[in-house]
Amino acid sequence: MHGNTVAITGVGETPFLRKGTKTLIHMMADACLAAIADAGLTPADIDGYIGNRMVPGSDDMGYAIGMKDRAFSAVTDVAGGTAPAGQALILAQLAIEAGLCRHVLVPYGIQSTKPGGVYGFHAKEPLKAALEMPVGFFGQPTYFASMANRYAHDHGMSEEELASVAITYREWAVLNPNAQRREPMGLEEYRLSPMISTPLRVADCCLTTDGACAYVVSAVDRAADMPHPVVQVSGVGIGTNNFPHGVLFTQNPCTYEYPGVASAAKAYAMAGIGPEDLDLAQVYDGFSISALIQTEMLGLCGRGEGARFYHEGHARPGGRMPVNTSGGHLSGGYVPGINLLIEGVRQLRGGEGARQVPDARICAVSGLGGNSHSTTILTRS
Amino acid sequence: MGIPIYPVHLEDPQLQGFYDGLAAGELRITADPGTGAWVWYPPEVVPGKPDTVLEWRTVSPEGSAYTFTTIVRSLLPGDHKAEVPFTVVLFESDETPGCRVPGVLVNADGVEPACGMRLRLKPVQAGDHIIAGFEPA
Repeated sequence: MHGNTVAITGVGETPFLRKGTKTLIHMMADACLAAIADAGLTPADIDGYIGNRMVPGSDDMGYAIGMKDRAFSAVTDVAGGTAPAGQALILAQLAIEAGLCRHVLVPYGIQSTKPGGVYGFHAKEPLKAALEMPVGFFGQPTYFASMANRYAHDHGMSEEELASVAITYREWAVLNPNAQRREPMGLEEYRLSPMISTPLRVADCCLTTDGACAYVVSAVDRAADMPHPVVQVSGVGIGTNNFPHGVLFTQNPCTYEYPGVASAAKAYAMAGIGPEDLDLAQVYDGFSISALIQTEMLGLCGRGEGARFYHEGHARPGGRMPVNTSGGHLSGGYVPGINLLIEGVRQLRGGEGARQVPDARICAVSGLGGNSHSTTILTRS
Repeated sequence: MGIPIYPVHLEDPQLQGFYDGLAAGELRITADPGTGAWVWYPPEVVPGKPDTVLEWRTVSPEGSAYTFTTIVRSLLPGDHKAEVPFTVVLFESDETPGCRVPGVLVNADGVEPACGMRLRLKPVQAGDHIIAGFEPA
């Protein structure tokens, strides 16, 4: 695959709410229609659809938004942020380059308040039910807390350094009128945040969000005639490891070694750039610790230097490498991966007010989902 | 420090071997009888060798913590009892490095949990069942 042949031509999202009143399909339909309108299109213009195994598919969504011709439809077979922030873009580019369709719609939504809770899928895993849940090793914050302690053992990380990740993203959220958590947070407020699993507090965990997002992918030559500055997909890379979900959080030789180095290398190679060329980045922050580690994997700092990178303020507003300029998943809202990608598009278009990164031209977006990881490079043409 | 009390669900009867070991005061890990290689956790299908039936082998109860976390807010689902806080460790037997067994840290009042800390197996009663526990060695 070559870069810069397709562009993200429309983006849309619902409000991000702690607890909403709409169904998942309703929220996704709202986001889809907003993205289609943002692209200057109508639902009848959309002839490609890429869903994910975790959300309603094109049978239901195509009907809900009034699609006429689903010439191409597909489902991404990776989890979490990897799907909408990376894998879907690969499929969209393949379908458009093959001439199967003109405009591909990619939605994603989450209803964190649904019955069963956000960790219900872990409880269905036989190995976890047999070996982990009886000793209380259960739930994403616990898994990532155990990674954080190992990372601190291997590389060193103080409480203040870990806190600086969440504090940095909150600084950006304060500047974003659409962020879910906008009250200022310094170290004192961070320390008042309830501890869940040491060292992770509530403030270190992604938000509980009811919301949906969607974007439209079109060929670059069509994008030139559409409403917004053209934001090209310059590179996409996917990395995976071979550990299924039941063993991923315990048996991976280094439990915090996500396949982000591999995804970043592929994306940079496809884009023909390196991390030194980036103007900003959106890093998948399911947790502060996982964002810190992915910041290293993207090459924004050296391996083992992530804690110092954040503590020294490089990712803050005005810093040399702004990260998670919407507030990320910790403070902006949590629709896995896709709202980070959309923030990247909006920053490259320009006009994002107080949080706009000056002269932003190239943005990296990372997505993490289970044993897969994506890196996407977006470029304003 | 407390302990979690949550039922053991053995959807795969093969996993009974782990709890049979704990009841006997032993730590048991699964191995490929053909090659002798440790295969842990025991998967439904051994990679590349789906007909292989793993066997349980008793390993050294002495080892160290790969990592740990102290759980202050338990996220276990349903109507369970958990005396928080409690500390979970991922234990590696000296005999099977890299094979990690989750367990509760016990008999460790005043001990600061740490990666690399030396531990030994100490099965503990949690309600009506026995769970993996590890105490400072």
